[in-house]
Amino acid sequence: MNDFPTTGLAVDAEGLTKRFGDFIAVDALDLQVRTGTVVSLLGPNGAGKTTIVRMLATLLAPDAGHIRVCGHDVVREAAAVRRSISLTGQFAALDPNLTTRENLVLMARLRGRRRAAAAAVSDALIERFDCAPFRDRPIKQLSGGERRRVDLAAGLIDRPQLLVLDEPTTGLDPRSRQIVWGTIRELVADGVTLLLTTQYLEEADALADLVVLIDHGREIAAGTPAELKTQVGQQRIEIVAADADSFERLYEALAPEFELTRLRERRTLSIPAPDEVADLARVSGAVAVSGVAVDELALRRPTLDDAFIALTGGLPQAESEAGEPALHRADVAA
Amino acid sequence: MSATATAATATAPGDAVAWSGPISFIRETLLLTGRSLRAIPRVPERLLDVTIQPIMFILLFLYVFGAAIPVHGISYKDYMFPGIIGQSLAFGLIGTGTATSNDMREGVIDRFRSMPVGRLSIITGQVLGQMCEQLLGIAIVVGLGLILGWDPHLDASRALELAGLILLGMLAFTWCGVLFGMLVRSPDAVQGAGFTVIFPLSFMAGTFVPIARMALIPRTIAQWDPISALVATVRGLTAPTYHTGGSWLLDHPELAMVLWCLLLLGVCVPLAVRRFNRTLAT
Repeated sequence: MNDFPTTGLAVDAEGLTKRFGDFIAVDALDLQVRTGTVVSLLGPNGAGKTTIVRMLATLLAPDAGHIRVCGHDVVREAAAVRRSISLTGQFAALDPNLTTRENLVLMARLRGRRRAAAAAVSDALIERFDCAPFRDRPIKQLSGGERRRVDLAAGLIDRPQLLVLDEPTTGLDPRSRQIVWGTIRELVADGVTLLLTTQYLEEADALADLVVLIDHGREIAAGTPAELKTQVGQQRIEIVAADADSFERLYEALAPEFELTRLRERRTLSIPAPDEVADLARVSGAVAVSGVAVDELALRRPTLDDAFIALTGGLPQAESEAGEPALHRADVAA
Repeated sequence: MSATATAATATAPGDAVAWSGPISFIRETLLLTGRSLRAIPRVPERLLDVTIQPIMFILLFLYVFGAAIPVHGISYKDYMFPGIIGQSLAFGLIGTGTATSNDMREGVIDRFRSMPVGRLSIITGQVLGQMCEQLLGIAIVVGLGLILGWDPHLDASRALELAGLILLGMLAFTWCGVLFGMLVRSPDAVQGAGFTVIFPLSFMAGTFVPIARMALIPRTIAQWDPISALVATVRGLTAPTYHTGGSWLLDHPELAMVLWCLLLLGVCVPLAVRRFNRTLAT
């Protein structure tokens, strides 16, 4: 029943399409997740990530295309797919009125365990995910980070062949996010195959072997974080202005001479640096002449952020069809 | 509840047992019913509908309006308590709808749906959980009635018959409520729509006031209303000297009620299951 690794693909989707009325949520998407790897679907809100996840978890039927999950077709062999995967949705998928332990025991029993075995596995998970301080509190009284931990624990009652996490850290404070990341890294070290959706570039960068950029229901680019960064090309110089006012003054001072990308939310100017250190010297010279206060000035390898902005149409070299840049407002000055 | 080892056909990895079809259905249904029942003491406000509300109606009609409502042949208490029971069953539809609508918005239902759990078990668990809540309400109504001097004139066989019919009515209305809760997006909308339809219907159904003296339109509705059949059935069993009459339905309340319930179940069960298998949220 569980023998699937003939293909080595935990997820194999072809031409996957889903429409909601006139709106095309997922548009002829191909997606492959190799066994034992971590793949991240990265895209802004509304890009179609959750729809993809719901289709491969048998919660939503595709309008066109095929998906095989762990060797089973999601439409024709839904029951077998449900036995192979574990889905942790975007919002805590737990009964708010039951306690941490009651939720875990219920899920374990629904997965076929007898009472004693269910209690044993629940206690082990409570231990492993540090849920002991709130094991007997109803879920509705827990913080977001605590719920997430219980949620992850509930997803691991049976060691799934494929673990699907839909935006596991959305809405969490940075500390809880670090804890959840730590937990996910441990699972990955254990060899769990993981499909993860996220709107955070750093999250994909930190956790995934392969990143698939999704926008408007389509794949825009795919590759390792390093490959995607290389795709954006050369190193860049980043200057972080001290405040909003110096950000504007700095922009005016440098605009005539350099090709600037403005990341206003981070008060950052980004400049391509094909000549690396020589460019750094020119830019720092110009900054010094302008006399504007600067927090940071550094030569950087491109980040996934840059890749994302470039590939979703934030920069001139990207395809023009991709609509508005979704994550950060990046104004481009040529 | 825990089945014996013979029920298990194979042992899956990680201590999980591969239960055979029907046993797995019963097992999952009971587990999920247990889930609903545990919520009762933790969300006590949910019980208000099935406890405080009927008590208020009992007191209001018995001691405020009742004296002005002429009923021939039996005491007003014997007339009204069957009405309250019928109305409680009808209101159960609204309570079930609200609870279902709430539940469907919680991620937990999606988790169940993505697990190797029978989808029918998820709904039947919901139905049984809701029925337990309503049984509690009926028990309170009956208990209070007996304390206040209602005489249900029951022998053992009629008591059994009454219990069976009440359970059938409850089952039909609860399934109806589950379907309703799945079709309507928000719990507030369920409450609103429920009260606009069920509230007047349940008052027209010969609940507190005899149908015969109503104006033509409500009287005609009441003569064919399934809630009237319920009320007339309970009244026929607990006050055998009283005969409602006025339409085929009211002349044969028990048969009419059973037919109504079978019809409701025949429509609501497949529709609810179908609806549940489709998308619930985007």
